[in-house]
Amino acid sequence: MGLRELENRSIYILREAYAEFDNPAVLWSTGKDSTTVLWLCRKAFFGKIPFPVIHIDTGYKFRQMYEFRDRIAEEWDLDLVIARNEEALNAGVSPERGKLECCTALKTEALRRCVEEHGFDALILAIRRDEHGIRAKERVFSPRDDTFRWNYKDQPLEMWDIYQVQSSFQDHIHTRVHPILHWRELDVWEYIKQEVNVPVNPMYLASNGKRYRSLGCEPCTSPIESNAGTIEEIVEELRTTKIAERSGRAQDKEKAFMMQKLRALGYM
Amino acid sequence: MNVNVVLVGHVDHGKSTLIGRLLYDSASIKSERVEEIQKLVEEYKRRFEFAYFLDSFEDELKEERTIDTVSLMFMGKKNCYTITDVPGHKEFIKNMLTGASHADVAVLVVSVVEGVQEQTRRHLFLLRMLGIDNLFVAVNKMDAVAYSKERFETIRSQISEVLSAFGYDAEEVTFIPVSAMEGDNIYSSSEKMDWYDGQTLIEALDEVTLERETKPLRFVVQDVYELETEKVVVGRVESGVLRRGDEILFEPSGVRARIEGLRFFGREDDEATTGDCAGIVIEGTVRRGDVGGPLEDPPRAVRSFFGETVFLGDELRRGDILELRCGTAKVRCEVSDIKEKIDSETGEVLEENPESISEHDAATIEFATEPLVVERFVDIPELGRFVLVKDGRNIGAGVVLQTDLGV
Repeated sequence: MGLRELENRSIYILREAYAEFDNPAVLWSTGKDSTTVLWLCRKAFFGKIPFPVIHIDTGYKFRQMYEFRDRIAEEWDLDLVIARNEEALNAGVSPERGKLECCTALKTEALRRCVEEHGFDALILAIRRDEHGIRAKERVFSPRDDTFRWNYKDQPLEMWDIYQVQSSFQDHIHTRVHPILHWRELDVWEYIKQEVNVPVNPMYLASNGKRYRSLGCEPCTSPIESNAGTIEEIVEELRTTKIAERSGRAQDKEKAFMMQKLRALGYM
Repeated sequence: MNVNVVLVGHVDHGKSTLIGRLLYDSASIKSERVEEIQKLVEEYKRRFEFAYFLDSFEDELKEERTIDTVSLMFMGKKNCYTITDVPGHKEFIKNMLTGASHADVAVLVVSVVEGVQEQTRRHLFLLRMLGIDNLFVAVNKMDAVAYSKERFETIRSQISEVLSAFGYDAEEVTFIPVSAMEGDNIYSSSEKMDWYDGQTLIEALDEVTLERETKPLRFVVQDVYELETEKVVVGRVESGVLRRGDEILFEPSGVRARIEGLRFFGREDDEATTGDCAGIVIEGTVRRGDVGGPLEDPPRAVRSFFGETVFLGDELRRGDILELRCGTAKVRCEVSDIKEKIDSETGEVLEENPESISEHDAATIEFATEPLVVERFVDIPELGRFVLVKDGRNIGAGVVLQTDLGV
C-alpha cells in the first residue's frame, strides 16, 4: 500500500473511534510507532489531540525516552496521563524476578488501573500485524472484558471498514483500536521520512555501530549492530535486513507463546 | 501496486501451507522467525510445517488447524501483496468473512485428493456474494497423486461445474496444479509436471491489475469538528472526486451546500480523490451518516431496500428489529420480509418466505429502515454493503441488490 492510502485508512479509523466512543485515550510509549500514531491523530484532529495520551511508566525506561516524552508533550500540548504501578515498584518487582510477571505488573496492571480510574472505553494502540505472529491475528476494533482479557478464540465479525462498537456498560468492556495495524515497519520509517515533522527518539539512530530498532525497558532491550545514522539509512537497512524487528526485546522469547500469554492477559 | 489476496477453501486442503510456502520462497520470512518455528517444532516434537508461519496461536499449533484469519505482506516479482489466510472450518465462517472482506482477488485451494468439499462450496458462495470475482484455483497436493495430469483434469472439471453453478465463468478462471508442500508451481515452476505449461501461482497473481471505474462522488460524513476558527465536516471520498466550489447534496439530511474549502492538517489542497479522508467547510448542518454527492447524480435516501445476507447469529425472524450499519450510518431497521432462505453451502433456495433463518443461513431479505443512503452493490460497492448488529454484536453482513422498492 502506498503511504497516502495507509495514512487515509489510519485517519479514517481514528475518526471512527473518536465518533463512536465517549472516552477514548491513546497509548504512547515514545517509540516510533506510537509517535507516528500521535502524528496521525494530529492530522485527523487538525493539530490538537482531543483526548488523553497515556504513557505507561515502568520506571525502567531509558533516560532518553523520558526526555523525549517531556519535550514532545510540551511541544504538542498533550493531555499526558502517566500510568505507573507504584505498589509493584515498591514491592520490588523487576525483570530479574521473571519477565512475564514484570511485564504484567508494570505494564498491564499499571494500564488496567489507569483505565479503571479514568473510565476509558477505548484505547488506541500502535501495534502492527507484521511485528509479531500473534498481532497479525488482531482486529482493528478489538474488545476486552473487565479482566482485560483478549478472547482471541471468539473475535468479532469485522467486515470492510465497519467495526464492531461494543457498549462499555456491559462488564466494563473497553475496546482496543489499532489504527496502524496494516502498516509494516518499513512503512513507518518511510512515512517518518516523508513527514519531516514526526519527531524521532535519537536512540533509533546508530552511534558507535549500534542502534535500537525497537524501544522498551532498559534492562530488557538491547541494540542491534547497525551503521544507519539517518532516517534514509534506516529505510535502506530495512529493505534488506533478515533480522526481526523485536529481536532486541527479551520478553518475546523467554518461552514459546510468551507473547500470546502476555497478550491474553491484556498486554499490548 | 498493492493487491489484497485471500486464500479460501476446505479445511486441510493446504491454504496455510501454501501461504507459508509463498512467504518462504519469496524470502519474506525473517531468519529469526524460521529459527523460532524450529524451536517450537522441537519443543512440541513435530515435523516442520510451512503452515507454522501463519498459525501463531498455541491452540492452532496443538490442534493443527487455523482458527482465525491472518494477513501478511510480501513482495511478488511485480505486485506487492497483502495475503490473507482464513480458517476452513464452518464454525469459523465469521473469521473467513472478516478476512475475505478486504480482498481484491481470491485463490481457491482445492486438494486434488479430496476434490470439492463442503467449505469449498461455501467459501465460493460467500466470495460471489461479496463481489470478489477475480478468482484463481490452485489444485493442491499434486505430489500425493504422482503429479498425474488425469487427476488434475478430473478435479478441474469438477470445480468448473461448481463455479458455473455459482455464476462464475469457469472458462475465464485460471487453474494451476501445485504442491504447497514441495513448492511446485507456486513461486517457481515445477519440473515434475512437464504436461503443464501455464503460469505459476505468483506469475498469475503478478498479472492482476485493479482498475477502478469512474463513478459519481460519494462523500461519507464521519463527524463534524468545531475547531477554534471554523466548523469542519470530516469524512471520506468513497467514490469520485471532491473539489472546492462543488455544489453538493447531503442525504438523508437534505442539505444542499457549496464546498467553500477543503481542510487537511499541514497541507493545502482544493481536491480530494477516491479513498481520501478530507475535511470540508460548508454552510449548513450535516451529521455523521450523511452522504454527499453531485446534484446531477445525487445519493438518495431510502426507507427500504432488498439485500442478500449471510447470517451468523442464532435466529433472525420476520419482524425482528435490529441495527443496520452502512458506511458511517447506523439506523434501526426491521426485517420486513424474508424472501428466500438459501443454503450457504450449495446456494440452493431451501425455503420461500420462511418465518425465520438461523446461523450460517444466507437469505434475501427486504429491510425497512430509518432514512438511509444505500446504493446497489453493483453501482457503488462502498455504499452497497451493510452489517447487521444486535446487542452490540455484528451478527450478519450483506450486499444491496435493489433500493427502489417504492415503499
